[in-house]
Amino acid sequence: MITQVFRKTMQIGVLLSLLTLVPTMALAMESSDCKSCHDDTDMVGEELMIEALTFDQTAHAEVGCPACHSSVTEDHPDDGLAPSKASCAECHDGVSEEYVNSIHAENASCNDCHNPHRALGPTAVSGQDMNLQCSTCHENVEMQAKHAEWLPQADLHISTLPCITCHSASDEYVISLYIIKRQSGTPFGGFELASYEELNELSGGKPVQELVDINADGYISLAELRMFNRDSQNKQLRLQGMMTPENVSHDFRTRNDRWDCSFCHASGPEAMQVSYLSLAESDGSFHRVSVEKGAVFDALYGTPDFYMVGASRSSALNYVGMAILAGGMVMPLGHGTLRFLTRKNRKDEEE
Amino acid sequence: MSSKIKIYLQPTPVRIWHWLNALGIITLCVTAVQIRFPEHVHLFANYKAAILLHNAAGLVVTFSFTLWFIYYALVRRNMVDVYIPSVDDIQNGLLRQAKFYMLTYFLGWANPHHPTPDNKFNPMQKSAYLAIMFLLVPLVSLTGLLLTNLSPMRDLVLLVGGLKILIAIHFLLACSLCAFLFTHVYLATLGKTPMAYIKPMWTGWEEEDEDHHPHSAS
Repeated sequence: MITQVFRKTMQIGVLLSLLTLVPTMALAMESSDCKSCHDDTDMVGEELMIEALTFDQTAHAEVGCPACHSSVTEDHPDDGLAPSKASCAECHDGVSEEYVNSIHAENASCNDCHNPHRALGPTAVSGQDMNLQCSTCHENVEMQAKHAEWLPQADLHISTLPCITCHSASDEYVISLYIIKRQSGTPFGGFELASYEELNELSGGKPVQELVDINADGYISLAELRMFNRDSQNKQLRLQGMMTPENVSHDFRTRNDRWDCSFCHASGPEAMQVSYLSLAESDGSFHRVSVEKGAVFDALYGTPDFYMVGASRSSALNYVGMAILAGGMVMPLGHGTLRFLTRKNRKDEEE
Repeated sequence: MSSKIKIYLQPTPVRIWHWLNALGIITLCVTAVQIRFPEHVHLFANYKAAILLHNAAGLVVTFSFTLWFIYYALVRRNMVDVYIPSVDDIQNGLLRQAKFYMLTYFLGWANPHHPTPDNKFNPMQKSAYLAIMFLLVPLVSLTGLLLTNLSPMRDLVLLVGGLKILIAIHFLLACSLCAFLFTHVYLATLGKTPMAYIKPMWTGWEEEDEDHHPHSAS
């Protein structure tokens, strides 16, 4: 109890000192002052370069450079002093506590996965980018081989799911659709996430979103999805669906219920209702556009390359299938009934 | 009372193929129900078990199809006689056989078709098996093979029009195959006794009245 009160007092103390320090420093240094040099490779070199366009999209830009680098004064860099760096835990105390207690903490610090000058929220990064962090250490080929020991189609799972789906307590899953593009112009080249530059070129000057959102109303209807997928001009483009969490956890414990495929594959139609088109922006972030409810259940052209067996089945096809099966019963039932009723005729014949 | 003769109608490779196929297809149908409706059907311990069994049974059916093809096309070399309807089959046979199933069977008349090893199927059977063995089974097997190897065969999937179209083809053809199965099993019981047509597929030998087979004693 006493330690708790002590800890609380300390936290409030740190917060107050930060609050009082930040304005004084801000008087001396503004983020714009920092960016005037650090946004220019010629002035600071590759290593100290901070891309302002990208940084401005992060939540860190809102608190400003001095919030974390409080020791920097107007004399920087002539004073020769290394700028101070705030620890992530000072603000992200909840996440930090969760992470410190995870088995992952001894292998990587926050900065190993998150560059604070580029760190974006879970809905502003792509699923592929989430996995990029993991594959820095967990080599892709090795991970695929390891998963293939028990997981059917391991390569497919690894390329269409963020690792944290199973290896953390992340939740609130939605379907994110990304535009992927056939690379290198060859007919059999692999598909990769389309960059903003590629999309911009394809959209021919119009906003990138209008590649799919044809009527530019900020909402993608099933009709627009079908149009995009049927358009022969888009042959080099596909929509890849990924199941991504909106709420991420840093506990990095493999969930026991994920060993059972039905966590995803039997979650029922309810879970697959919400989907977004997620598009690369010029600043490196991803921008989401709402897609009509239940688009992933469209039988054919809504999302032609997204199918989670068991979970995103089309009910229209179920009815057609049932009709076919019922058709198969016509002969046994119809003929069988008449056969039963006329059984006497054949008995006479045999005798 | 006419005397009975026995004819060797179903050679061993055909019988092995048939029952391998039967086991495979039934396993595929049963596992497929759990795979498509996992929240309602729990026949197998878990979803992965159903998937793995479905994939394995799919390979068995694909393998047995290959066995069937090699046997009829290369070993026995009577695939055309057995499976392709002749002009007479189309002009007269189909109607004659349909008339038997729909009318004269109920009146107690005998089946107009009498099987021999090179002419096992009646005209209706020939037409049905032609569609099944040359269209349904190969297409269900091929789409199934694609579905179990999506990443390496991505370009083929795109050629079909996408994963959803591939799934739709696989699902609807499989339903058709399953629907045929009901009719197939029912018609198999339509012999003189319910087991009369089923027994030859197990033993190889069919019993026929001699007066129907004046030249088949060889």
